[in-house]
Amino acid sequence: MHLPTPGDLLYALLLISIVLVVVVVFRPGITNSREGKILAFLAFFILPVLCMFWGASEHIDRSKQTQFCLSCHVMEAYGKSLYVDDPSYVPAAHFQNHRIPVDEACYTCHTDYAMYGGFRAKMQGLQHIYVQYLGTIPNPVKLLTPYNNRECLHCHLGARSFESNPIHVTLLDSIKTNQTSCVTSGCHDTVHNVANQKNVKFWSPAQ
Amino acid sequence: MNIEATGIGRSLRLPGILLISGLMIELISLLWAKPLAFILFAFVGGGLFLAGILLYLRSLISPSGPAERTPCHGTNK
Repeated sequence: MHLPTPGDLLYALLLISIVLVVVVVFRPGITNSREGKILAFLAFFILPVLCMFWGASEHIDRSKQTQFCLSCHVMEAYGKSLYVDDPSYVPAAHFQNHRIPVDEACYTCHTDYAMYGGFRAKMQGLQHIYVQYLGTIPNPVKLLTPYNNRECLHCHLGARSFESNPIHVTLLDSIKTNQTSCVTSGCHDTVHNVANQKNVKFWSPAQ
Repeated sequence: MNIEATGIGRSLRLPGILLISGLMIELISLLWAKPLAFILFAFVGGGLFLAGILLYLRSLISPSGPAERTPCHGTNK
């Protein structure tokens, strides 16, 4: 049996809310009775507020999806870089081996794993939308702030594969304080590398 | 009693239209998984929702609307 998704329930709630508001607007006489007043309060206040919060949550969830990030033309090359057939490409190796959730690939590495980090990431996302539609897109595209090692350590810190490398253990304090960058200090410096995309092979998944 | 004549119907009409528009915009924005859909939802839909809800709450406080209030025949003069 197919169970409705939260999205389906939200659509149903939106339709019910619209119908109730229409009923109250076109038959205001029903607000004469106590039950009618309760119905009007439900239709004009409770349900719209619920729809608004639920809708916001649904939109925020959707904005984490890889597809969402890649829907902007400027991101196409970055999406393509996830399929480069070369394990030295950090995003490609993570994406192709499912070390990160494939559906939320961009968000997983580019969010901010700190207090209110998700909110900050969304605010930066709004800035990206502004630049996309009303500003000038920089070429090449650059991060708003230097990549923070905290985002790598969120998963790797304490992992056996990370600790078994003596360089990581020796430099751990320096990595934690961002004095040594994971991606720009010469260790894992092949990231999206979109400028060199014409000269690489691509992996195509079987499914 | 005719509700339209008392102004309750009229006071619910505008918030109703704003809320229906806001709900429709939310519905449309949810069918479209693009950054612009989020902007549409947050700024256009959110604005209509807020205006609709505030107007409805205002109509609860003064159901007949300020223009239809009868003049006060108090004794303050």
